[in-house]
Amino acid sequence: MKKKLNRYIWLCILLISIGINAQESKPLIQSKLNGIVVDAITKEPIIGASINIKGTTHGAITDLDGKFYFQTGQKFPYTLIVSYMGYKKTEFVANENSVIINISEEQNALSEVVVTALGITKEKKSLGYTTQALKGKELAETKETNFLNSLSGKLAGVRITNSQGDMGSSRIIIRGETSISGNNQPLFVVDGVPVDNSQLGSVGGATRDFKNAIADLNPQDIETLTVLKGPNAAALYGSRAAHGVVLITTKSGKGQNGLGINVSSGITISQVATLPKFQNSFGQGSNGRFSYVDGKGGGVNDGVDESWGPKMDGRLIPQFNSNGVAVPFVAHPNNVRDFFNTGLTFDNSISVAKSDDKSDFRIGVNNQKQTGTVPNSEVNKTNFTVNTNYQISKNVKIGVTANYIVTDAPALPGGPSGNRAAGVMLQFLWFGRQVDINELRNNRDVNWNNSYYSNPYWNAYYNTTSQQRNRLIGDIHLDAKIIDGLNFRFRTGVDYYNDRRKYQIKYGTNGTPFGSYAEDAYTVNERNTEGIFTYTKKLNDDFSLDALAGFNIRNHSDANNYQKAPRLAVPDLYTLTNSRDPLTSSNILSRLRVYSAYASAQLGYKNYAFLNVTARNDWSSTLPSSNRSYFYPSFNGSFVLTDALNLKSNTLDFLKLRGGWSEVGNDADPYQLATVYNFQTAFDGNPIQTSSRKKLNENLKPETTRSTELGLEASFWKNRLHLDVAYYNTNSFDQILEIKTTTSSGYDTQLINAGKINNRGIEIQLDGTPIQTKDFKWNVGVNYSKNVSKVAILDYDKQIQNYTIGTSGGVDVLASVGQAYGALYGTAYERDASGNIVVGANGLPKADPQKRVLGHYTPDYLAGVTNTLTYKNLEFSFLVDASVGGELFSGTNRTGNYTGVLAQTLPGRDAANGGLNYYYAGTTKTLLGGGTAPNGATVYDDGMIFNGVYANGTPNTQVISAQEYYKASYNISEAYIYSSTFVKLREVKLAYNFDKAFAKRLGLVGASITAVGRNLLFIYKDAPNIDPETAFNTGNAQGLESLSLPTTRSFSLNVNLKF
Amino acid sequence: MLKKLAYITLFALSLTSCSDTLDDINKNPNATETPLAPYLLTGTLKQGADLYWGADNNFNSSLLFVQHWAKIQYTEPDRYDVSNTSFTSLWNTGYATLITDLNTILNFSDQQANSNYKGIALTLRSWTFLLLTDAYGSIPYKEAGQKVTPAYNTQEEVYTGLLEDLKKAQSLLSTTNGTVTGDLAYKGDITKWKKLVNSLRLRIALRISDKLSALAKQTAIEATTDAVGVISSNSEIFQFIYTSSPQQNPASAWFETRDDFRISKTLVDKLYELSDPRLPVYAQLPSDASVGKYVGGGNGLSNSDANSQGFAKTSKPGTYFLTSLSPAVIASYSETLFNLSEAVARGYISGDAEQLYKSAITASFNQFGITDATIISNYLNQTTVKYDATNYAKSIGTQKWIAFFGQGLDAFAEWRRLDYPVLTAGPATVLDGQLPSRFFYPGTEQSLNGTSYQAAVSVQGKDLLTTKLWFDVN
Repeated sequence: MKKKLNRYIWLCILLISIGINAQESKPLIQSKLNGIVVDAITKEPIIGASINIKGTTHGAITDLDGKFYFQTGQKFPYTLIVSYMGYKKTEFVANENSVIINISEEQNALSEVVVTALGITKEKKSLGYTTQALKGKELAETKETNFLNSLSGKLAGVRITNSQGDMGSSRIIIRGETSISGNNQPLFVVDGVPVDNSQLGSVGGATRDFKNAIADLNPQDIETLTVLKGPNAAALYGSRAAHGVVLITTKSGKGQNGLGINVSSGITISQVATLPKFQNSFGQGSNGRFSYVDGKGGGVNDGVDESWGPKMDGRLIPQFNSNGVAVPFVAHPNNVRDFFNTGLTFDNSISVAKSDDKSDFRIGVNNQKQTGTVPNSEVNKTNFTVNTNYQISKNVKIGVTANYIVTDAPALPGGPSGNRAAGVMLQFLWFGRQVDINELRNNRDVNWNNSYYSNPYWNAYYNTTSQQRNRLIGDIHLDAKIIDGLNFRFRTGVDYYNDRRKYQIKYGTNGTPFGSYAEDAYTVNERNTEGIFTYTKKLNDDFSLDALAGFNIRNHSDANNYQKAPRLAVPDLYTLTNSRDPLTSSNILSRLRVYSAYASAQLGYKNYAFLNVTARNDWSSTLPSSNRSYFYPSFNGSFVLTDALNLKSNTLDFLKLRGGWSEVGNDADPYQLATVYNFQTAFDGNPIQTSSRKKLNENLKPETTRSTELGLEASFWKNRLHLDVAYYNTNSFDQILEIKTTTSSGYDTQLINAGKINNRGIEIQLDGTPIQTKDFKWNVGVNYSKNVSKVAILDYDKQIQNYTIGTSGGVDVLASVGQAYGALYGTAYERDASGNIVVGANGLPKADPQKRVLGHYTPDYLAGVTNTLTYKNLEFSFLVDASVGGELFSGTNRTGNYTGVLAQTLPGRDAANGGLNYYYAGTTKTLLGGGTAPNGATVYDDGMIFNGVYANGTPNTQVISAQEYYKASYNISEAYIYSSTFVKLREVKLAYNFDKAFAKRLGLVGASITAVGRNLLFIYKDAPNIDPETAFNTGNAQGLESLSLPTTRSFSLNVNLKF
Repeated sequence: MLKKLAYITLFALSLTSCSDTLDDINKNPNATETPLAPYLLTGTLKQGADLYWGADNNFNSSLLFVQHWAKIQYTEPDRYDVSNTSFTSLWNTGYATLITDLNTILNFSDQQANSNYKGIALTLRSWTFLLLTDAYGSIPYKEAGQKVTPAYNTQEEVYTGLLEDLKKAQSLLSTTNGTVTGDLAYKGDITKWKKLVNSLRLRIALRISDKLSALAKQTAIEATTDAVGVISSNSEIFQFIYTSSPQQNPASAWFETRDDFRISKTLVDKLYELSDPRLPVYAQLPSDASVGKYVGGGNGLSNSDANSQGFAKTSKPGTYFLTSLSPAVIASYSETLFNLSEAVARGYISGDAEQLYKSAITASFNQFGITDATIISNYLNQTTVKYDATNYAKSIGTQKWIAFFGQGLDAFAEWRRLDYPVLTAGPATVLDGQLPSRFFYPGTEQSLNGTSYQAAVSVQGKDLLTTKLWFDVN
């Protein structure tokens, strides 16, 4: 490490020395220019617009008042090119030393400049693929603690799934899953530095869900976020391009004349949004009986953690908090809701920026303090950012960016895994509905059940998972102009973090009587060094050339070190040495390196036809030497029909066709070539080695993804309506699959290099401005995307029909040949020829021994509609988004039916709820039509008859108890498959920007206030008791809901002041 | 300028191009490609004992089926309300850990492992296959570990193959073939391994006796006439002895944190009926001292009925089985004697079946620390215990069932074969009054090895708990 550090110091010295040598004499000043750039309609000054003198590199950037100034060797008149993101690129002839330049907003940005692969900006119309960008403001205002969530519903073809609670991870998928078994999330690049977005050590399900790493970024620092959708746009990233790329540009000091200070303060409150609907008629117990003695079977059913007990009608029963005294058995309808707190997040940031003709800088600090909805949960995060550039000579500029992030979470929601019932919702779904949660809150030493659980507050306060992460993302870079048109850019960047988790379980915790303590530490280090030459030349009047060539060296390493004291020696001391047993420990180190060389060229014809070609070759350490080098080509073209064929009319402003083809790939993870044996904890001095149960493959090839994309972009009625349609067809093959094999093959999994999956889809973006007056504007943005996937083959021998992506509650998520990706595979009811459920003689439904595909988690289509209404300085917007189609398996409904806590288990539980009367004839339950039972037998009123037929086809008549009825389908997965369709009011936003004049009176440059509500309500959903959007984790095993924490709804208020 | 840039570029390359080649970088630093035979042997013994004695295959399944233990809480497995995800660990650990590790030893060169290691590996592999076929029926055997989707073999093929394997194991084992370390069971005593091999051959001979009597007889003769003989004292028991946490006996570990098992009422009642002195070893007095006698838990009760028996008013299994050092017995002297007795009774070998039967019971008493000759002879002389030559299956079946206490998988296999004692399904069981006759195949077989699975099921019968296996003749 020290050696590497030394190298960086040397590099800095070298770069500085270049700057000193490169001093050149100043040119003669021929003209001075004072200008201001304003919006053509609102006349508001434009901040940060760039002005260049055409044909030179001379340029300036507007300040907070929209002003700019430069002096130049050129004489008047000369042409200025003014560009600003989201505005039309405007040419302006300067003929005097004071000018006002009007530029008009390109609502749908026809000649807008967009960021493309490797951070190269290009005119959007020259591209043969789709990109879509969001401004930092849109991300910052939502105040999501995981900023990925604020992308939901705003980008066509981008699917975000928030996993659970308000401190969890989020998964982002662009254009469907193209890798059957590998990571499907896009590459994230911040200011040219590829950064890590792993979700380390997450076990998913009911246990802790660690936030994915990209959530470390502070949205306040983001200038723009650009999504390169899929391989065509991302081809220059070669082996990292298959799932698209998210390019993030952070704010810099450019355009800040004089000192600018920005202060932003926000507060967000959040509440649990989707709690299951519980019943409040029957309490803890079984068969209607319950009486508490010790909470572990000493009384009547007091070890039972289900609510099939007596009616909560005030009858007198000894309870956990009554010291053996019989007290009224009554409902506490809000006992689950009351467990949760109102989450509170304070978000404060300050940034200082300045620039002059030689340098610019921006430094910022952001602090975010979040207390979650789960008691005692807390996350604190502080970001320090620096972004600075310095012109060391006329042709050479150097700069540094650094983002240092400190995350400190003393306790995350949900306890350490391996601790029984640590999952918050697990205990509330295996619950006694009569339990008074206040009694548990007031005394953590008592609990309603001692067979399986500790007091939920005991878990929350004593059995904690803490996380500390220190992260540095940064680079040093150099830009040099070599000759006219030829530039060189060099960058070396790093993303380095330490992530330490501490898991403590207190002495006396149920199931862990001696407690335990574990430390889990990760170190991730991603370094990239790249150099790029760019060359731009107008070849003649018709043709222009824009070319690029470069290299990249990527080094990645990650390490994990885990140690656990399985049983503590003394209570309440959480150190690894406080152990009565030998420590269990493991450590993993993983490294990889990739060399890359790449080039691209764009040939433009008359500024309406463009051809783009890219090529990249990668050499990866993770592949065998014979297959190590691989080549990725792409080409695409764009054709602006309105310009080429002169189609422009009052109706049609712009029409462009585009298309392209690309081939990208994916290398393997490290160490996938040679099968290994692992060590296990030695037995009494005897070392143990055992098979890793994973057969690896010494002949791996890289995965390949080929994608074709076609698109159309059109704009009508002076840009009041803008349409963008994209179609893509992606084939991914030679997939590196760790296929699950029958263990009788000798291994749990084997690594094969086959698998082919096809993804086809369409994306539509429609932006319209139905009303636009001087003061009022109504804008509607609609996006729609549909992706259809099909798993073509898994292995070339066609032996394997299914790849298991994940499993929960007896349901497998499969990539199954011939099916869409993510098939849910589980047990179904046994049915007769006409589809009736078959029951046994006992009146209970039977499971079909043959498992079946019960649904798919991938939705049919996604859509989002944003309405923005602007009146003068007031802006109001709301976003409705929908995910239609797809299924999920709900563990909450499965468990809650089994335990009788859910309201949906009420029908049939007594006469009032429609239960049938029956009595026991011997041991057989016998339906009682009316009157009294023979021989004075007891009559029960919780009888139900399962709707089904006997094997002989006659209708079921066997009465069973409600308890048996609702438990009957526990092992029949089909019963708990639901449509995951939902329509959500995702976001409502109200913003007010104060008048400049008003702000000035307060001594401010600008001020705004924003109120945002997120996840406000479901307009429609099918799955009861849960949020169908809740994910299992960020992996590919989606569609499995497993007693996850409720998602939250939030309200935030944000004030932004500029000095 | 260009020159400077060229320098920078070269410098940048030097930043990352260390001396490591791409091949070096991809060398796995976390695990080894070349394991050592003694470490694999220790691993298979420990993991095999865990598998045989742990929850999934023993006290949460087979021990309930044979009514040695009962559940007092969460009674689903005791009511046979299980699914095809319930019996996966025997299959998965058996194949992917035990058989794979043992095959690794078998495939070693002679430098890596002497023939004694290989003989032991082949013995343990045969034992693992035996557990698998006894529980599931047809299993992948010949192609196991060889193919991605191995075909299943019938029980007849498996048992016959295993007898050949054990014969080969016997020939690989010799006191002159080098030393073995890492052997936590027999401490490298090759003679004991050779006796175990013969005892296992005898065990298999009886397993197939109702089907292939000629082979059974021939095997019994070979096993008993082999120079080394069979297990011949309690000091030669094949067992794995645990140490302290976290390497404690799996049942002990379970009871540290959970309390959902009791000794079965069926067994307690039987032991009372026979005035069996093993009762205080097998069971604890209920924690409520006012009860004052051993009370078993009923099998196959509903959760609430099971619960209502009272946690404090019923007997847990004996502390003999629940200390961290408690052994996992895998092949006992007493079982071998019962097998000899039955082999005599069946006319396979010569001898005194009754005397062997008595010796078997005596060996079981000794195994559990009961050595008083008077107590033993009093017990043996009861008419309820006396050997019944007209129904050896009943005598041997009943006493073997008692002696097998804790060895759920073998008790389950022998109970199915001998059909004694007669067990009755509990009131809340879900198999229409029947008891299980096998384990389900893991549900994943349908998705991962579907063709082979379907072929096997079509021969053996539906993949149900009640489908009778080939060896289990009524």
